[in-house]
Amino acid sequence: MSIWGAVAGGFVGTLILTTALSTASEFGLTRMDLPFLLGTIVSSDRSRAKALGYAMHFATGLLFALVYLGIFAAIGHSGWWLGALFGLVHGLFAGTALVTVLLPVIHPRMGTPFSAAADRPLLEPPGFMMLNYGRRTPLVTILAHVAYGAIVGGFISLAS
Amino acid sequence: MTPGRDAGYLPLREYAAIGDGRTLAFVSSDGSLEWLCLPDLDSPSIFASVLDSERGGSFSLAPDAPFDAERHYLLDTNVLETTFRTAAGSVRVTDAMLLPDTGLVPARELARRVEGLSGEVQMEWRVEPRFHYGERTARIGRRGGTPVATAGGDALAVSSWAAGVPVLADSSISGRFAATAGTEALVVLSSAHNEPLLLPSRAEAESRLSSTIAFWRKWSADRTHEGPWRDAVIRSALVLKLLIHSPSGAIAAAGTTSLPEQIGGRRNWDYRFCWIRDSALTLHALMQLGCPHESESYFWWLLHASQLTHPRLRVLYRLNGSERTPESTLPLGGYRDSGPVRIGNAAGGQEQLDVYGDLMQTAWLYATAADGLDPDTARRLAEIADLVCEVWRRPDSGIWEVRSEPLHFTHSKIMCWIALDRAVRLAEGALIPRAHAGRWSAEAEEVKRFIEGRCWSEEARSYTRSAGSRELDASLLLGALMGYPSERDPGFSTTISAMRHNLGSGPLLDRYSGEDGIEGDEGAFLCCSFWLADALARAGHVVEASELMEQLIGLANDVGLYAEEIDQRNGAFLGNLPQGLVHLALINAAVSIGEAQHP
Repeated sequence: MSIWGAVAGGFVGTLILTTALSTASEFGLTRMDLPFLLGTIVSSDRSRAKALGYAMHFATGLLFALVYLGIFAAIGHSGWWLGALFGLVHGLFAGTALVTVLLPVIHPRMGTPFSAAADRPLLEPPGFMMLNYGRRTPLVTILAHVAYGAIVGGFISLAS
Repeated sequence: MTPGRDAGYLPLREYAAIGDGRTLAFVSSDGSLEWLCLPDLDSPSIFASVLDSERGGSFSLAPDAPFDAERHYLLDTNVLETTFRTAAGSVRVTDAMLLPDTGLVPARELARRVEGLSGEVQMEWRVEPRFHYGERTARIGRRGGTPVATAGGDALAVSSWAAGVPVLADSSISGRFAATAGTEALVVLSSAHNEPLLLPSRAEAESRLSSTIAFWRKWSADRTHEGPWRDAVIRSALVLKLLIHSPSGAIAAAGTTSLPEQIGGRRNWDYRFCWIRDSALTLHALMQLGCPHESESYFWWLLHASQLTHPRLRVLYRLNGSERTPESTLPLGGYRDSGPVRIGNAAGGQEQLDVYGDLMQTAWLYATAADGLDPDTARRLAEIADLVCEVWRRPDSGIWEVRSEPLHFTHSKIMCWIALDRAVRLAEGALIPRAHAGRWSAEAEEVKRFIEGRCWSEEARSYTRSAGSRELDASLLLGALMGYPSERDPGFSTTISAMRHNLGSGPLLDRYSGEDGIEGDEGAFLCCSFWLADALARAGHVVEASELMEQLIGLANDVGLYAEEIDQRNGAFLGNLPQGLVHLALINAAVSIGEAQHP
């Protein structure tokens, strides 16, 4: 297990995750767009937000890969299947807490269930398991994160 | 004098709406809160006695002796003030849904303050919550001394101060107290959904009531309209603000479901959704009034919500942006036994081609005001224009969402022309990709040829409801409002005359003649009358437009609200209320007349 394995896995995993979500969006499976959601934290210009969002998403992906590495090191096991399991938990966490609860709290342009007449959000809140962004969003998001986890786990294992 | 109840129901004119940008409540002129959905406008109701006086649930607060009531909104606010006068004295009740401040506040909060003005008035209040449209039984109990009602993941706390000792029964919480001159009592409902209840202190609730009033006044003061109908325009703006779903920016068509278009009839629909159709008119109204933030939020929501079905558009979306709106009926009797009570809306699955024109007009208005579109939005708009080239020849269900066989509705064709025309204009301004602009232009000519050749009646001197038909349709007035360049009837003058002659009755208009596949009759559609005033002003008939506007302003209820329809025979409100389309048509008509008077 090495940090470079985690960095490489995080990069490739995030690439696949982002591409999978973007493809799912193009095919009308979900309105989920993680780079857009992240980028609009810092910019209300839609194009600039997407570009910045990709950078932020890759940074987040690398960070999570390092977290995976830490857990692998702590338990003394790694591998693509364990990474996929982590990805499943990661996806569920993203759907139930990270994007659903935490992102609206820190996002200056996203509504929350508590936004009232005096507030001026630009982005609708994602709702539980991001279901506001389409019925298939939980499935797409979880599968994409499972793929991310498997790739990160695989790269870390290969770099051992 | 407050009218008496008939089998538990008041005329719909007797309701005022209060809200917080997430949900709204109806308060009747006799002090009863009879419609409230929690936590959001499109959530299940907790009070719905306007739809079933026995099972719906309500929160009454009034003198226990005969009274006269007089009410108004506090100037330029969505806070209602009702004065009750009895033989023994008078009291003033202030009703508001409270806006959150920066502290730890309940998820939703509604306050009813009672001030004694003179004498001594015995007051009675009773909260009868009926969760989930009356289908779930409430459990009544106390939390830390505060009465609460719970059902599943929903909870409601009833906090009261100087309003008597709360009495808890199987399905209600009630109290009695004497209001004497100079005293103040307060009853506050605070709700929670899938989280613990927050119980406010009296000082916190009073403070939020004051800041809520201040917010609405500030918001109204920032609106930029001046003119003879300023009060009606600001009231309409405040109504639209109530219908804007603050968490997302979507705008609900109306605040209710299933208030009937005919007493005893079956034309009862759920309007707690956002219709694409209303978008252009809404954006126009918001921009006219200087609401840039609301306009921007709405446009962002619109783009986000329609992403999943792109380039196709659904007719309507849920307020949270999701597209599922399955229709079902509830075991409620309906207003004055006008069942069924429906939730959801099957029109969501219809094909209505006019929505493409509405979206492109919205984009045109937004892009012009915002001075540009981002590349992704521009690409999507171009793809929608390409789709219009493919679909405009199809029959559809039209603006009125008929449930009979699809037809080639003239209004739909006009809006397809608008879609292609606006796409060409956007391309000419380098706001969207121009590669297909030639095709859009050629198809727009084809659409126009179809309209001029097949949708005109020489006999009626008017465009017709659909191709080859002899029926008329008031929605064609939107052609004049949107700037369709008629060859048969420049300025739509003879079409306007035909509408007034064939569909009109005084200031009112039916929306169309002919069949629509739904049994029963309906009242006159109020938005059509405001479109008529707007079209008259644009056609240069300013005096006529102003006179009509005066008559229409007089048709609002005592607090300035409009329902969807009015019964031509007795002036009674029919249909859902408050109706966004009517209020935004009022705003646009007032602006058009003002511009025609002072070009």
